[in-house]
Amino acid sequence: MTTATKPPKPAKKKDLMSRIPAGFVRAVLRGHSSLGLAFAALIYLICLSGSIAVFAHEFQRWESAAGPHITEASPDAVQTAFAGAIAAGGAGVEHVYITLPSADFPRLLLHVDADTDREFLADAAGKIAPGQDFAWTEFITRLHINLHLPVTWGIFLVGLIGVALLSSLISGILAHPRIFRDAFHLRLGGSKRLQEADLHNRLGVWALPFHIFISLTGAFLGLTTIIVGVLGMAMFNGDANKVYALFFPPPPVDDPRPAPVLDLRPMYAKLPQDGGRITYIFTEHPTERGGAALFNVKQPDRMAGTDSYAFRRDASIYNAQKAADNNLGEDLLGGMGQLHFGWFGGGIVKIIYFALGLALTYLAASGVNIWLARRRDKGRPAPRWERAWAATVWGQPAGMAAAAVAGLAAISTPVAIGAWLVVSLLFLLAAIRLSTESLSRIGRLATGALTLLAVAVHLGLRDGLAAADPMAWIVNLVLVAGGVLLLIPRLGAQKRPVEPAAATA
Amino acid sequence: MEDTPALLPSLLIAVAAGAGAWLLRRSWQGKTQQTGLVAAGWLLIAAATILPAWLLGPARGPFIALAIVSTAALAIVAANYSVRQAKARAARESLAPEPSDRATTKWRETLRWLLAGPIGMIAAMGVGIAYAALVPGEQQTRLVVGGMIVPVIWGGCMAWTLADNRILRATAVLTGVAIVSFTAAIVKGFA
Repeated sequence: MTTATKPPKPAKKKDLMSRIPAGFVRAVLRGHSSLGLAFAALIYLICLSGSIAVFAHEFQRWESAAGPHITEASPDAVQTAFAGAIAAGGAGVEHVYITLPSADFPRLLLHVDADTDREFLADAAGKIAPGQDFAWTEFITRLHINLHLPVTWGIFLVGLIGVALLSSLISGILAHPRIFRDAFHLRLGGSKRLQEADLHNRLGVWALPFHIFISLTGAFLGLTTIIVGVLGMAMFNGDANKVYALFFPPPPVDDPRPAPVLDLRPMYAKLPQDGGRITYIFTEHPTERGGAALFNVKQPDRMAGTDSYAFRRDASIYNAQKAADNNLGEDLLGGMGQLHFGWFGGGIVKIIYFALGLALTYLAASGVNIWLARRRDKGRPAPRWERAWAATVWGQPAGMAAAAVAGLAAISTPVAIGAWLVVSLLFLLAAIRLSTESLSRIGRLATGALTLLAVAVHLGLRDGLAAADPMAWIVNLVLVAGGVLLLIPRLGAQKRPVEPAAATA
Repeated sequence: MEDTPALLPSLLIAVAAGAGAWLLRRSWQGKTQQTGLVAAGWLLIAAATILPAWLLGPARGPFIALAIVSTAALAIVAANYSVRQAKARAARESLAPEPSDRATTKWRETLRWLLAGPIGMIAAMGVGIAYAALVPGEQQTRLVVGGMIVPVIWGGCMAWTLADNRILRATAVLTGVAIVSFTAAIVKGFA
C-alpha cells in the first residue's frame, strides 16, 4: 500500500560561492577592508608606475629619439663601441653591460660601471655618443621597483606590497559570494557606491589570473633578497652566495694585472649558430688580466629561453648553460621578470598589460572610494580622508607627468624625482583647503597639461621633430591623445537608455 | 631568430575567449542556468588559453592567452553595461554584505597586525624553506618553488589573521608552523 504523497520540491541548487556563510563573508570583508585601507596608497602608486613601466623600452627610444637607430650590430661595431665606451668612461672601470639592438629596442647601449657610472649609445659602425638620456624611464622604473628608497629596503617594501595585494585578492574572492551571479553586471550611474563596487568586482574577477601572476611575481622578485638571506642563514652557514651559485655562472678568477681591452670578436666566433639572437653581453674587469665576458643568447618562443656562455680573456668557454636543459626552477626564475613586466609577446601584450595594470590601479583606488561612500551612506562621512584620497589619486599621475617634463628638460633623474615629490606634496597640501571635486578637476587638468608640456619639451629640446625612430612619434601621438582626453571634461557621458535602479548595493 | 609574432594569434584568442564569455553571460543572465552553454563557454575559454602553447611557445602562448582572455571577458562585460537612475535610498536597504563590526582593543589590533606582518612572514618563510629542504627534486626547482610559496602563504596568513576573530588561535598556529617548519628544515639540511 502506498500513499500518493507528492515528493518534496528539490531545493534550488546554490553555486559553491553562494554557500559561504554570511558571517564568514563579513569577517573576510573586514580583513579585506583593513588591508586595502592600510596599503591602498602604496598599491596604487606601485600599480600605476608599473603600468607605465611596461613601456620602458618605448620610453627609452622616445628619450633617445635623436640617438642612433640601428637594427643590427656587427661584432666589429660592438668591439669598437666597447673600446670607445671604456676610453670615455673614466677611471675605475669594473664592468661594462652591453645591450644589443632588437626589434623592441633598436639601440646599441653600453653602460659603464666605473667610478662614475655612464651610458653611451653607438651607431652601426660602433661610434659612440653620450647616451645619458633616460632620466624619465629611470625615474618611472625605479619608482616601481624600489620607490626611490635605498635599494634593499625599497625592493623589500615593494615585495611586501605584492604580498598585501595577493592577500587582498584572496580575501576579495572569498568575500564575493555572488561572484558567478554578478559576473556580467556592470551598472553605471545610480548610487556611486554601487557603480564603484560593480567596477571593482568585475575588474577584480575577470582579470584575476593577471592580478595573481603580477602580484605573485612582484612579491617573489621583491622578497628574493630576504628569502635568500634567511635560506643562507638557516641552511648554508650564513653564506647566501651559495644559493646564488646554484643559478648563476661562477665569477671569473680574479687577476687584477692591467691588460688591453677585452676582445669580444673571437668570443662571437665561438658562439653556436643555432638560431638564437645575442641580446646582452656582460663584461667583467675588461681591462684586467682576469677579464671575462658573459653572452646571453635568446632562443625564440621561450619565456626563459636565454642560453648563456661565459668566456675567459683568451676566448675559452668556462661555463655554458642552454635554456633547453633548464629544470623547472631555472625556467620559473628565468621567465619571472618577463612575465611580470609583459615583455614576452610584443606590442599587443604590452598594451594589454598596460590596460590590465590600470585596472589593478583602479582596484586600489575604487576600494577606498567604496569605503568612503559606505561611510557617507551610513551618515558618517570622512571628508578629510576623501580629500586626502583625491589628492593621492590625482597627485600621482600629475607628479609623474611633471617628472617627465623635468626629466626631459634637465636630463637628470634626481630632478625628475624632485619634480614628482614637489607636485605630490602640493596636492596633499591642497587637500587641506580644496574640496574633493576641485582636487580631482585640478589633478585631471594638471596631468593633461603636463603631459602635453612633456611632448612640447621633447619636440623642442630633445630633437623630437628630427626623430629617426618612429617610436618617438608614436609615443608623442599617444601622449597628445592622452593629454587632450584628460583636458576634455565629462568625455563619454551616458549613452544608454536609463533603467530603474535595483535595490541591491 | 625572433619570437613568433603574437598579433594574429591574439586576435583568434580574443575571438574565442569573447565567444566563450558571451556564452557564459547568456547562461548566467537567464533565469535558469543552461549547463550546455556554461560548458561550451568554459571549453572555449580553456581552448583559447591552452592551444596557443603550440603556436606561440609552451609557456609564452598560455601566458599571452591569459592576458587576452581577461581583456576579452572584460570587453563583454563593458559592452553590456546598463545605466541606472540616481535614487535616494536609506543605507539599510543595501543588500550587499557589510564588513563585520567586531569589538576590539588596542593590544588585539597590534597583535593582529603583528600576525599579518612579521609573524606571518616568518611562518611563510619557514614553510618555503622547509619545502626546499624536505621535498625531493632538483635543487633549483625546490628553491624557486619554495620561494614562490612564501608570498602565497604570507598573503593567506594576512587574509586569515585580519579576518579571524579568534586571534589567539591564529597566534598559536602561526608560531607553531614557524617553529616546526624551521626546525624540520634545519635538521634535514639542504642537499
